[in-house]
Amino acid sequence: MTATSETPMTQQTQQTPPADSTVQSARDSLATATPGRVTLRSLRKVYGDDASATPAVRDVDLDIEPGEFITLLGPSGCGKTTTLRMIAGFETPTAGEIRLDDDLLNKVAPNKRPMAMVFQSYALFPHLSVFDNVAYGLKLKKMPSARVTEEVETALTSMNLGPYRDRAPHQMSGGQQQRVALARALVMRPKVLLFDEPLSNLDAKLRVQMRGEIRRLQRRLGITTVFVTHDQDEAMTMSDRIVVMNVGVIEQVDTPEEIYRHPLSVFVADFIGRANFLDVDVQGIEDGSARVSVLGRQWTVPSHPEVEVDAPVTLLVRPESVRLSPTDGRAVTGSVGRVLSSMFYGESIEYDIETEAGNLVVSVADPHAHETFSPGDYLDVGFEEGRAWLMPVGDEPQ
Amino acid sequence: MTDTLLPAAAAPVGASTPSPRPRRRSGRDLTLVTLVTVVSLLLFVIVGLPLIRILTVALSAEGWEIVSSMLTNPVNRRILWNTVQLGVLVAVLGTAVGFVMAYAQVRLKFRGKKLLHLIALMPIVSPPFAVATAAITMFGRNGIISNKLLGLDIDIYGLKGLVFVLTLSFFPVSYMNLKGMLESLDPSLDEAASNLGASKLKIFTSVTLPMLVPGIAGSFLLLFVESIADLANPLVLGGDYTVLASRAYLAVTGEYNVAGGAAYSLVLLVPALSVFLVQRYWVSRKNVVSVTGKPAGSPELITAPALRIPILGLALVVAGLVVLMYATVIFGGFVKIFGVNNDFTLSHYRFVLAGIGSDAMFTTTLLALVATPIAGLLGMLIAWLVVSKLKRTSGLMDFVGMLGLSVPGTVIGIGYAIAFNTPTILGGRQWFPAVAGGSAILGGAMAIVMVFVARSLPSGQRAGIAALQQINPAIDEASTSLGANSFTTFRKVTLPLIRPALLSGLTYAFARSMTTLSPIVFITTPQTKIMTSQILAEVDAGRFGNAFAYCAILIVIVLSFIGLLNLAMLHPSIRGIQRR
Repeated sequence: MTATSETPMTQQTQQTPPADSTVQSARDSLATATPGRVTLRSLRKVYGDDASATPAVRDVDLDIEPGEFITLLGPSGCGKTTTLRMIAGFETPTAGEIRLDDDLLNKVAPNKRPMAMVFQSYALFPHLSVFDNVAYGLKLKKMPSARVTEEVETALTSMNLGPYRDRAPHQMSGGQQQRVALARALVMRPKVLLFDEPLSNLDAKLRVQMRGEIRRLQRRLGITTVFVTHDQDEAMTMSDRIVVMNVGVIEQVDTPEEIYRHPLSVFVADFIGRANFLDVDVQGIEDGSARVSVLGRQWTVPSHPEVEVDAPVTLLVRPESVRLSPTDGRAVTGSVGRVLSSMFYGESIEYDIETEAGNLVVSVADPHAHETFSPGDYLDVGFEEGRAWLMPVGDEPQ
Repeated sequence: MTDTLLPAAAAPVGASTPSPRPRRRSGRDLTLVTLVTVVSLLLFVIVGLPLIRILTVALSAEGWEIVSSMLTNPVNRRILWNTVQLGVLVAVLGTAVGFVMAYAQVRLKFRGKKLLHLIALMPIVSPPFAVATAAITMFGRNGIISNKLLGLDIDIYGLKGLVFVLTLSFFPVSYMNLKGMLESLDPSLDEAASNLGASKLKIFTSVTLPMLVPGIAGSFLLLFVESIADLANPLVLGGDYTVLASRAYLAVTGEYNVAGGAAYSLVLLVPALSVFLVQRYWVSRKNVVSVTGKPAGSPELITAPALRIPILGLALVVAGLVVLMYATVIFGGFVKIFGVNNDFTLSHYRFVLAGIGSDAMFTTTLLALVATPIAGLLGMLIAWLVVSKLKRTSGLMDFVGMLGLSVPGTVIGIGYAIAFNTPTILGGRQWFPAVAGGSAILGGAMAIVMVFVARSLPSGQRAGIAALQQINPAIDEASTSLGANSFTTFRKVTLPLIRPALLSGLTYAFARSMTTLSPIVFITTPQTKIMTSQILAEVDAGRFGNAFAYCAILIVIVLSFIGLLNLAMLHPSIRGIQRR
């Protein structure tokens, strides 16, 4: 069917062409859509008839600004995909409102919503060529065929897919199929772009590369984007704001940095990045900082606004803010800890340290620039005060 | 019952008040609502109504008398017992034969597999009398083999002959089922068992067989229903051995006792439907083998003589019998009276091709050609609604769609005769005129097309459902998300993707329409002659030569249609880009 006959594998190696000027201008010409504002109010979804069943999504409120890249992040079953599918119209909310700009969307059929979705499985039409896949939605709009050709060519160029227009989807690699799916969505000039775990079927390298590409494209087009993933790296690197969800509830909405540094709940702290939780004695709190004692010393750490002196609290210390140094101590007490195990990652080394406050995971960057330790070594354990975070132990769901 | 699917849309057309602003409903997918309504109404007319009518007649005073005497009256009890006995025997033997053929095909090493496969499928495309008449000619009291060759005096009429003929006719159903299952058994399971120390025989009894149990049970049940529902063979071969189907036929056509016919039908309907339900909702759930999945690899083929010789031997005997039957049909059409006067003649073919038979041939082919696309598309449409559109009502629609096949043909035929010989009146209004019977519009042809559609859409529906379950639902959603409504999605995405299923649906629809007899005998009319019922007349009159010629021509028509359809589907304009 196609003129070229190389296997998808050989092409994959020569992928990632530098985004040259034709590609850039093609991308720019796709950017005419006005980004939409999405508002979710008390959104709720209960599956089945049983009103007493646990809701998949309960009372979600969210404002997505025009042009914003927002990620719904959470473990499987947290309601992120259900929320996305309600925005797309594939699920009907049990209660609550979905608005696009000022229009109520609840009753609008999914095919009438000015949104486009990129699916985890790409969902390319296997019986249509790349060109026809991308042209599908435009033809449904009754666009004259000359315009369709022009638009599709632009979209394909913008995704570096020009040479593949006559291929069938199954003749392409996963990354290429992903680009087709993206072109097919973008060519519709949607007000909102929806992604349902689009990168999870790609291998690790390609995933990182597509991450950057989608992010750059989204910035350039300024299109409102809702991205669902369970991969925190994706969420951290791509999003303007992250929505962390758990058992149907939003735990926190914030920028990636805020979420990482100042999580509002133990769940968020644990889910984003890795976390050590230390039991501490709180001596006093004022102006968002607290005096605590742990590991045989007194520390002044930033604290969550809702922390109270007598309420149960925990101190979050990220593995990379733990500091280790050799010591004379020969017993696990006070600030002295003992190395249980070490793992070499290349760019970092990771230790499991036994201390009187519990076992700590410690990550030391660039092992060649630092002294390394072996299991059994006794070390003095401390941490960067300013990067710790004192937080309440709330009633965690589940 | 179907009206409850969509209360709003099912309101009588004439009674509708001026519709208040249709635009306000733009939130719902109106095309979907329309589609579901149309499909539900069609199903209601072609299967629902006849069944409801048969129930009302069977439960009337006159009918109920027979129904209630089923176990008390010794004659009726005998008929019931005969039916069950026949069903069980054929189900056991047919499943066994099907298993042997399938096992040989999938697991044994031998040459000529393709040929054996084609031979095993032959009975599917043949008209109901082919095997029966050939069996009488070969193995009857004056049979060429039984009497002339071996000097035996065998009475083929009755249970023996019926079991023999029905087994040969129906084993392909079980063959196809079990072959699919055997092929999708993961060979790594065999390897795992072997790795753990099991011998070939132990693997067969401890791994292969247990995994096939649901398949074997399923095909047992299917064959049971098929054989108790069969009418053609008991009419030709039954002799004194009366079964429910032939009793119902006699009541309607011989005694003009419609209530009696309906009563026997009801008794036949109960085991048929319950077995169907058990098969569908219980056995299929027990299934651990996914038949639709791709085979995970090919197992090592068996060359050990201890297994190969007996299994292959049995398979060859069965294949030999099938070939013998069809050779008889072909040869018998060209001689005066096969076995008595073996002079060459073309008179039988002249009768069919130029005489009275040509009328039936053209009418049947024409009506089957009309019914085939309707059945094929309707089957796909139902499959699509069931798999990806309907939620709560999908089970109901699936069930009603399958009724055309799960209800015995005799029952459908009598139902049609009751329901459509007179104008259909519901709620004091005439909805449509009589469509069945000699005085009906189009000489009763419409009812025949309806029966063809009802009988043949289930196979397309099944194939469609299996195909659709393989398609990722996201593909449907992608189309919707790009602005397509339900019908556009079906037309532009779903249908092209399930083309192979559509092809097999169309093939089955045509083959079934051409070869179905049991419902047709009740509604065929002098103006609308149907080949199968003409064959019955010829066989009844003892003119086997004509029957053979009819059968051979019917087979040729079915095979050419299948060939043409496959050719057409290969054409690029229909094929699209699909693969490679």
